[in-house]
Amino acid sequence: MSISQAAASEAVHGRSGSEFRRGVMSCLPVLLGTVPYALVLGAQARQKGLSALELPMMTGLNFAGGSEFAAIQLWTSPPHIVLIVAITLLVNSRHLLMGAALAPFLRHLPRRKAFAALFFMCDESWALGLADARRRAGANVTPAFSLAYYMGAALAMYVAWVAFTTAGALLGPLLGNVEPYGFDMAFPAVFLVLMAGMWRGVAAARPWLVSLVVAALVYLLVPGAWYVAAGAVSGLASAWLMAGDA
Amino acid sequence: MIDMATLLAIVLMACVTYLTRIGGYIVLRNRALSARATAVMEAAPGCVLISVIAPNFVSRNPADLAALAVTILAATRLSMLPTVVIGIASAGLLRHLLG
Repeated sequence: MSISQAAASEAVHGRSGSEFRRGVMSCLPVLLGTVPYALVLGAQARQKGLSALELPMMTGLNFAGGSEFAAIQLWTSPPHIVLIVAITLLVNSRHLLMGAALAPFLRHLPRRKAFAALFFMCDESWALGLADARRRAGANVTPAFSLAYYMGAALAMYVAWVAFTTAGALLGPLLGNVEPYGFDMAFPAVFLVLMAGMWRGVAAARPWLVSLVVAALVYLLVPGAWYVAAGAVSGLASAWLMAGDA
Repeated sequence: MIDMATLLAIVLMACVTYLTRIGGYIVLRNRALSARATAVMEAAPGCVLISVIAPNFVSRNPADLAALAVTILAATRLSMLPTVVIGIASAGLLRHLLG
């Protein structure tokens, strides 16, 4: 279901139960790409010596796939705690920007609810929630941010992530090499559709190009996960500079 | 069985990650933004998204680049599900044919 169809159907139903379901539904295509990743992570973690109890603890409490892949990659027995926590912080530093972008849409929520909702903020639930809020703001729906929609998408993601990483840890020794074939393309596909929805003309998209070029260069030249932070920050800096001559 | 060092690592990872999730919200919750800051915030989601997938744009595998081009074309015209299906199918197919 496209975001516009979703918003239209929401106008008909308008209840929080149907909002929650709309969130779950919009997350389903994303799950298609997530499930193979989750299985691979679980299987890898098992090879690195985490138990089938420790891994769901990590994916359930931390719930940030990129940092978990990095942590498992670096995992030793016993783990190098400082290194793993530092890499986690680095990979997840983009959440600071994401939370900042979402903040204006969360003003109508009590702090307690906002803090709970933010625990479930991952790339996918954030992107879906924000794209939906912007659409609704454009259609003058208030509040623009639908908490039930966001939580539908976020909880679908959470349950699938914890369940399938656990399945990977349990089945990993049996599955052998889980080659995700074309499934990894689901991730960029979802992001590209979301960006198409955010398109406001070439001028507004210039910072995206700066981000893309800088992130790609840093990815090629600097080892580690710096490219996300470098790309995001340089794009924002260019947006700041370009806003001056607009 | 849960190992103490593993438990500590996991709990600290979770704490750091949660702090990144609430940090941006706490700083900006009660502030009105200037026009310039609004422009930056409007560009922010796209900048983060494109940075996360930037490695796909510099893949050394021609099949992956071709699949990405197909997926971009699909994303500009179609909604989420067909684009994802086309992305997965084109990547699987092109890797099989070219790879």
